Amino acid sequence: MDKGVIEVDNLTKEYKKLKAVDGLSFTVYKGEILGLLGPNGSGKSTTINCILSLLNFQEGSIKILGQEMSPSAYDIKRKIGVIFQDVAVFEELNVENNIDYFCGLYITDKAKRKQYVNEAIELVGLKDFKKFYPKQLSGGLLRRLNIACGIAHKPEIIFLDEPTVAVDPQSRNHILDGIKKLRENGATIIYTTHYMEEVEILCDRIIILDKGKIIASGTSDELKKLATILEKISVEVCNLAPKYLEDIRKNSNVKEVCYDNHNLVITYYKGKNNLAEFTHYLEGKKIHYNRIFSERPTLNDVFLELTGKGLRD
Amino acid sequence: MTVFKAFIKIFNKNKSIIIMYSVILILFSVFNMQTSDHSMSFSAEKPNVLIINQDENIGITKDLISYLEKNSKKVKVEKDEDKINDALFYRDVNYVIYIPSGYRKDFLNHKNPKISIKSTKDYYASLAEMLLQRYLKVADTYLATIDDEESIIRYIHDTLNKNVKVEVTSKLDTGHLQKAKLYYNFMNYSVLAGSVYIICLILYSFNEEKIRKRTSISSMNSKRFNQSLLLSNGLFAILLWGFYILLSFLLLGSIMMSVHGGLLILNSFVFAFCALALSFLIGNLVHNKNAINGIVNVLALGSSFLCGAFVPIEWLPKLVLNIAHFLPSYYYIMNNELIVTTEDFSIGMLQPILVNFGIILLFSILFIMISYFVSKTHNKKD
Repeated sequence: MDKGVIEVDNLTKEYKKLKAVDGLSFTVYKGEILGLLGPNGSGKSTTINCILSLLNFQEGSIKILGQEMSPSAYDIKRKIGVIFQDVAVFEELNVENNIDYFCGLYITDKAKRKQYVNEAIELVGLKDFKKFYPKQLSGGLLRRLNIACGIAHKPEIIFLDEPTVAVDPQSRNHILDGIKKLRENGATIIYTTHYMEEVEILCDRIIILDKGKIIASGTSDELKKLATILEKISVEVCNLAPKYLEDIRKNSNVKEVCYDNHNLVITYYKGKNNLAEFTHYLEGKKIHYNRIFSERPTLNDVFLELTGKGLRD
Repeated sequence: MTVFKAFIKIFNKNKSIIIMYSVILILFSVFNMQTSDHSMSFSAEKPNVLIINQDENIGITKDLISYLEKNSKKVKVEKDEDKINDALFYRDVNYVIYIPSGYRKDFLNHKNPKISIKSTKDYYASLAEMLLQRYLKVADTYLATIDDEESIIRYIHDTLNKNVKVEVTSKLDTGHLQKAKLYYNFMNYSVLAGSVYIICLILYSFNEEKIRKRTSISSMNSKRFNQSLLLSNGLFAILLWGFYILLSFLLLGSIMMSVHGGLLILNSFVFAFCALALSFLIGNLVHNKNAINGIVNVLALGSSFLCGAFVPIEWLPKLVLNIAHFLPSYYYIMNNELIVTTEDFSIGMLQPILVNFGIILLFSILFIMISYFVSKTHNKKD
């Protein structure tokens, strides 16, 4: 992953007085899956639209495969596939014809196109629904069709904008497997989502955006290291007296203690042997507990710390 | 070809609309062929006249009554004013003539006696009025120079019995041309509704923001894409027009092979081009699929009613015709009227038809320009 297929340098996009993207610079490397994370209004979609030349921008430059991107850069566009959050297909065309139409915008050779269309149908698992019209498909199948329309021409670079929103678990797994296959076939993927688990499963690198700026970037583990908390311990314990809660709070490594409905959650700053020390304390005080487990900080915790708001705010 | 193939598939999903408009056109034409009679034969009509003579039935008075009875239908009603009024009200009588006592004497003495009348003030009453006035004017003319009553009556007879031979020299096949005109006038509705509906639906599908976005990022040259879409729509408009022309040959027969038929076809072609331009404009303006049906009804039905596609243009009020001047359909229908009544196709006679062609084309250019402006505004990348 040494070659930058997308190079964004000092990208600035303003809407009247609002800076939607503020001096953004990043590189996407060949063969990687880059996750773009950020709450609504953070500038993810604007950035993607600028990269795709769907929007004009005030400052900066965008290079794709070493060439300046522009609305008439058809050679570059040939190598790009986009799957938008909204399903963009013709209601009047069936599954096969929809994929064939969008593939036809890139591939003129009829035989080659037919092969590509069949492979795309295979990839998203719509073989049994080829003759179905979009109205006859469930939400999950519709999203799969949306993906097939975006990748049928076998692009080298794929933009996926929240492709799994409102999708049933079966279709979601299918879509995620499909994305992995695309990467295995050599595609570079830029993936935006609100789902942390998807980012953790799929993405090699993550960029967190807020107010049009990059506030953190790195691998999932690198980002988690940015968090000041190390772990959360949750324990189910009945009728815990307030004095014990006070005792726990006195521990300098404890950031926060929360006891509600027999569930005690303790958030720790970085430190060693937090779980062992806590169980030792409970046993020493002869406090009976049922279930106890420890959690590492999630990306959402990192995000909360960095931006002060959740990803879905 | 990709765009054209998608165009055909989308059209296929909506072809029932075209079938519906075609069936309406065929039904309208068949109905017209069975009901319209535009032959050039004439027959004289006679009004119902009641004569109440209070004078002696001799001399000029007798002759006046005899003339009126010969040229009208004599009606018998009791000499009671209420009954006479009832007869007028129910149109049993169209015209009542009261000849006063001493009429003959006063007439011969140049005292200009007055004849009272009652009338239903309709077409038949006007006919009776014309008969009476004709006799009285001729009688007055001869009275001015001749004193002898018998001579006056003889001269009146000579004058009124003279017949003018009227010969209709037109070689127009009026009956068939009128049917062709009705068909082509109604085509205003079929072409407008069909092309606006289908083109708007198809443009809506292609221009839907999500689809447009996907097309914009594709490697297909945007100019080539727009050209393909334009050509597909143009081809559709020509095929639709051609289909209706073929129907006109099947329904109207040999009249379509005449110069009149040729001009009607040319006029409809110019109008079909205008309908295509208008469809493009509306297709670029409409962003709601459900609104298309309403727009088609308002536009196609509205302009057809306002411009005389369904009812003869001469029946329309002046205000309606003034409004119709702002619609291309008016010039198309006016041209149909002019074409079927023109016998001599010299440049001078063709001039008003050519002017109307020009106006329809100007409308088309205007629609294309607005459409281009709207399209540019939509595609602005803010």
